Amino acid sequence: MITPEIDLAHPLTDGGIAFNNLESARRQSWTRFWRDPLRPGIAEYIIEQEQMTLQFVGDLAALDRLGALVRHLDRVAAESPRTALIHAQFASMAHRFAEAKRHLEEFGGCGELSDPANRLSLSIEQACVTNLEGVLEARRCMAKKSERLEDLVPLGALHADLGDFDEADQIYHRALREYQDTSPFPVAWVCFQLGSLWGELVPEAQLTRTERWYQRAIRYLPGYVKARVHLAEIYLLCEFTGEAEALLIPAVPSGDPEVSWRLAEVLIAMGRLGDAKEQVQVARSGFEALLDKHLLAFADHGAEFYSGSGNDTRRAFELASVNLVNRPTLRAFEQAYETAIAAGLSEDAAKVLTAARDRWGMTNAFRLSALAEIHGNPGSEVAIA
Amino acid sequence: MSDHVDGPRQIGDPPADLTDLFAFTSPQNPAHTVIAANVFPSAGVTAMFSNAIDHSIVLRRISVAGTGDAAKFKPGDKEYRFSCRFSVLEHGTDSKPVQRGTCTCPDGQVLHFVVNDEEGASTPDGVFRIFAGLRSDPFYLAWVTRDLKKVPNLLQHDNVLAIVIEFDTQRVLNPSEGSLFGVIAETTPLPGRASPIGVNPPRYDWVGRPEQTNMRLSNPAIEGTDDLRDLWNQQTPFAVVEELKPVFHQKLVESLTNWDMRDGKADWSPAALHATANVYLDDFLLIDVLKPTNDSSFFEIEKSTIQGKPYQTGGGRTVNANVVDMMITWMVNNDREFMQGGATGATKPGTRTFPYEASPNSELQTVADSVDLAAPPDQVWALIGQFGGLWHPLIASIKLTGTGVGQLRTIETIDGKQIVERLEVIDNSQRLYRYTNVSGLGVVDYTEHSTSSPRRAAAQSSGEFSFWLTTNPH
Repeated sequence: MITPEIDLAHPLTDGGIAFNNLESARRQSWTRFWRDPLRPGIAEYIIEQEQMTLQFVGDLAALDRLGALVRHLDRVAAESPRTALIHAQFASMAHRFAEAKRHLEEFGGCGELSDPANRLSLSIEQACVTNLEGVLEARRCMAKKSERLEDLVPLGALHADLGDFDEADQIYHRALREYQDTSPFPVAWVCFQLGSLWGELVPEAQLTRTERWYQRAIRYLPGYVKARVHLAEIYLLCEFTGEAEALLIPAVPSGDPEVSWRLAEVLIAMGRLGDAKEQVQVARSGFEALLDKHLLAFADHGAEFYSGSGNDTRRAFELASVNLVNRPTLRAFEQAYETAIAAGLSEDAAKVLTAARDRWGMTNAFRLSALAEIHGNPGSEVAIA
Repeated sequence: MSDHVDGPRQIGDPPADLTDLFAFTSPQNPAHTVIAANVFPSAGVTAMFSNAIDHSIVLRRISVAGTGDAAKFKPGDKEYRFSCRFSVLEHGTDSKPVQRGTCTCPDGQVLHFVVNDEEGASTPDGVFRIFAGLRSDPFYLAWVTRDLKKVPNLLQHDNVLAIVIEFDTQRVLNPSEGSLFGVIAETTPLPGRASPIGVNPPRYDWVGRPEQTNMRLSNPAIEGTDDLRDLWNQQTPFAVVEELKPVFHQKLVESLTNWDMRDGKADWSPAALHATANVYLDDFLLIDVLKPTNDSSFFEIEKSTIQGKPYQTGGGRTVNANVVDMMITWMVNNDREFMQGGATGATKPGTRTFPYEASPNSELQTVADSVDLAAPPDQVWALIGQFGGLWHPLIASIKLTGTGVGQLRTIETIDGKQIVERLEVIDNSQRLYRYTNVSGLGVVDYTEHSTSSPRRAAAQSSGEFSFWLTTNPH
């Protein structure tokens, strides 16, 4: 087995420089866009850069900026197929998958934009758990043809969703082997995926392995907010509260409410209840502001928050249900079931369980899920991790 | 665009993407030669160099091994390599990050410098001087090359990261042994460590003459062919793999044939076209360091040699050389008639003093707004779509000078101010016009757009008027 300690053969650009350059290039792209919004490729490039800013920097205002982009394209090129495709990309980023599909239909799919449209269509199907066999076949073909990291990672993620954890692990490693560029973003992304695979998706978390992958993601990109949050969770589980706090403090300026929430949990564990209360309040207002603007994008995160420090189980179930309707992944079923039980809604929990069995019951992933363990009355079992 | 964004790999990794290479006689000291390489297209205003890349500019002595249809330039074995590396960012005194770099010169001397220090750094003996940092992109491309439509400069207001090296020609290159040199720039990985994960790629990008990749190897007017740019970028400069040469040569011939016929006339004989493809296959920027270079001497060495006559100038490529129009003219009509694109210069011209590339552009400010109107877009446009239309409540009078694009309007405001604006684009079918400020506003680089459009998914009877402007406050 290849261990996380082994490094790539060639060095990567330092994470501080990479973040600095992403921000510099992103701002320049906006200048170019405003000078000529119809310039070929510029709106698409901004989508990519804002997606990276959202994913790695934790700058959630990226979605608001992209909202301004699509509104402006509506003004200057409302009828263009390209505008429809950009709308679809933005809607997909905000997890508004039904809307994304409508825009893809408007786009129609032709010419040089058909490739990005096909890729987006696959991502939406994967996210919405539809036609997974077809998506798997298409992903395999794309990965085999290109052998590039950007095609291998979604294939690995799909295997992980399907419960083929070793296959996913091997594909992620292949992605690292094939990578020959200097940008640290893709490598940190793979490391994060591997951490998530062994820490959150497998039936029994392998904390040491997970910790190392998240550490490595942060080593490549010290400002990788999501990786910091996930690693802090592990430190908290291991009662390394000082380390967890040190990880989260630098991420607070990102404005991601998940940082404040996890920090609150760390502060509670440290006995600093006053500080913790303050952070919970920051997290709550942050989540509500996000849910107000981008409900579907943050419903699952909000549900998790309200299940924990947010301390509002009804709200948690409400949000988990919204997420489940939008995106019926096995994890969404697990979350909806768990929040229903916590809120004392056993009838709703039973409905979720039945729907989960209907949708996922025949899969390997379901057999490995805690939902498969539940027999008899919902709520009589151990909580789902 | 010259070598900007010249392959899928470069798109994902902009600090490794070489955009341009220059080589010219120093305007400050004719006994010195200047070589410069730029990376990171559309770098913005705070970009820094990658610390994981070796940025090299390499010269090799060249001999003319054939002329006319057998034109051939043969590189020697000895190389003069300038190799630059950069550090991680440090905290500066004014909260801006600081980056340091080193340049290893061909004689082994190592120059230490600070990125963006315009003075640069020199060796104690004065033989070498280097600058590295953000500059205004000196390249300009003002064509849609697919159909040769003239447009404004597509790189207007862009910045790049530049490495500029000046050296004593006599002491470094000893031109008495031969004064013709080929120059290339390359970005390569720093030495890595032995690892079972991953392969150390040979290089990320390299550049010799401008537009080798984006206009010749990947001719935008020829669709449905393989993109060879990444394969080309992985070749070793001065030593393209022999087995691959026929593939690249074939691609160049197809591309040059297409360029020749863009104006519907065949200006090239097949033999001359093959000879030109052969010259392009040896992709390095030629400079004779004992002859003068100027803004029009670019590619003169190659042209004269293909035409079977001795070259007259130092060739090279100066910062202000209009290389795209020169190349397009050569490829399309064999220099029968100069083809001027939609711009006559870059955002800022190069300078006569070190570091020769102009200071970087600052970030533009943008203001955008719109208003919903209960009227069809055509009706709105009928009111606001006249460049000389008197509809704004703060305007007392408008006087027009000229007609169409380029037309000036002189506005008298109700409080007595005068503003002069120039029409840059008007498209009634799109209900859009764009104009720039000539005088009267305390701004530079001011561009305003006005448009009237239907609201998306709304009835055609409702519309909106919107405007947006980008500008630099004075």
